[in-house]
Amino acid sequence: MEIQWSLVLFTALTGMGGCMFACVAVDEFLGRAKAAAFPAAVAALAIAIVGGLASVTHLSHPDRIMGALSHPTSGIFTEALLVGCLCVCVVVYLVLFKREAGAGARKAVAVIGAVFGVLLSFMAGESYLMEARPNWCSQLLPLGYLLTAVPEGIAAYLVVVAAKAKGADVAPYGRALLVGGVLAAVGAAAYVLWAGPADGVQWALLVVAVLGAGVVPAACGALLGKKPESLMAMAGGSLACAFVGAVSYRCIMWLITVPIANLFLNVL
Amino acid sequence: MSRNCLVVDLDKCIGCHACEVACKNENGIALGEYWNRVLQIGPHGTFPDLEQYWLPVQCQQCEDAPCVHVCPTGASYRDADGKVLVDKEKCIGCKYCMMACPYGVRSWNAKEKAVEKCTLCGQLTSAGQEPACVAACCANARFYGDLDDPNSDVSKAVAAADPASLHTLHDAGNKPLTRYILSDKIATWHDVDAIKPASDAQDAAWFAKEA
Repeated sequence: MEIQWSLVLFTALTGMGGCMFACVAVDEFLGRAKAAAFPAAVAALAIAIVGGLASVTHLSHPDRIMGALSHPTSGIFTEALLVGCLCVCVVVYLVLFKREAGAGARKAVAVIGAVFGVLLSFMAGESYLMEARPNWCSQLLPLGYLLTAVPEGIAAYLVVVAAKAKGADVAPYGRALLVGGVLAAVGAAAYVLWAGPADGVQWALLVVAVLGAGVVPAACGALLGKKPESLMAMAGGSLACAFVGAVSYRCIMWLITVPIANLFLNVL
Repeated sequence: MSRNCLVVDLDKCIGCHACEVACKNENGIALGEYWNRVLQIGPHGTFPDLEQYWLPVQCQQCEDAPCVHVCPTGASYRDADGKVLVDKEKCIGCKYCMMACPYGVRSWNAKEKAVEKCTLCGQLTSAGQEPACVAACCANARFYGDLDDPNSDVSKAVAAADPASLHTLHDAGNKPLTRYILSDKIATWHDVDAIKPASDAQDAAWFAKEA
């Protein structure tokens, strides 16, 4: 099937925003880069909104989108609900932050938003589990969606930390990026190898996904502990590679699918 | 709830495509778009032992229709008569239903930018007439009715057939209602997923090439 770029960008960006806000929530407890909390939350909100808008561009009748509220069991409804809940939580968090509300309330809202953000990545992949498309029909697919979004979110958070919280101790986030990168590489490879790449393009995209979403962020995460002065370069490089890797993983999904039958032979 | 569907006797079908043309005329379907399509399955075997049959395909009126499950707006729905239909006024064009259909028998209306499919000619059957494809079938190979009504044409056709000759398209848990009658004396039934699947963009020739 043709790559559905709107949906590729939707899932890659909302996944990044959700996991980025999860880092903000984690730092509410660790307190390593307090100066980055507000700008990182703003950035996560902006990325999630841009991702949400990207999904609308593949609809032929976006004017009827409110009709989605009438069928709350569909995957699209779930995704829209989670994006909405994530954005509401981030906005509430920002208001609490600006009004210097109690740390307990801020932490609670941040954790709830983080849960929505992380769940969003998984559920975006879960929507594609259809009996009609056998090589989409594995929990490895949404797991790969989630795992490839994690390095994106951590790297994006570290970019903000590098810009707004200079001198912050980012060692825990470096370790998280290392672990997240390894898991992303394993997750992406696991699904794609299970589904069975059919041609050289899909194999090449798998290499890009594993290197971009996994190996490069993991290597940068490992080096962060030794070279904290290179935080911006490491985080920026990781972010770019993780985004390209996450996009590649999602592109493979569209290219690799083979339906049970396509008797009218329509090109979607 | 009724189980309205089509039954197609492939022992009788001559592959004239009259049902396909009648469907397009009755429902005003654009060039290149289909609600019903006749496929050539075969020839299979080794000369001189060759066999071939024709497989008319359209919405299979699945009892557990995946298109209805995935539709975010309820545009794909099951009506009071149990028919799976599309309300094009509600369709947002996400095409999830087209992805979820195990058979790819939904059609994209490029002009209206909405998904559509076989309606079992509700405009005709509600007035007591047969669907256009059934009425146009010169081989009397197509039947319409309620599988739960023993006096319906479909129930009679199914009852008259050898149980070994009754087939459905591949059931992925969606429980297709449409029944096909094909006896071994005409050809061996080939499930659609047993034929090597092609990519979505490939031409129809693969149906004929696969042995």
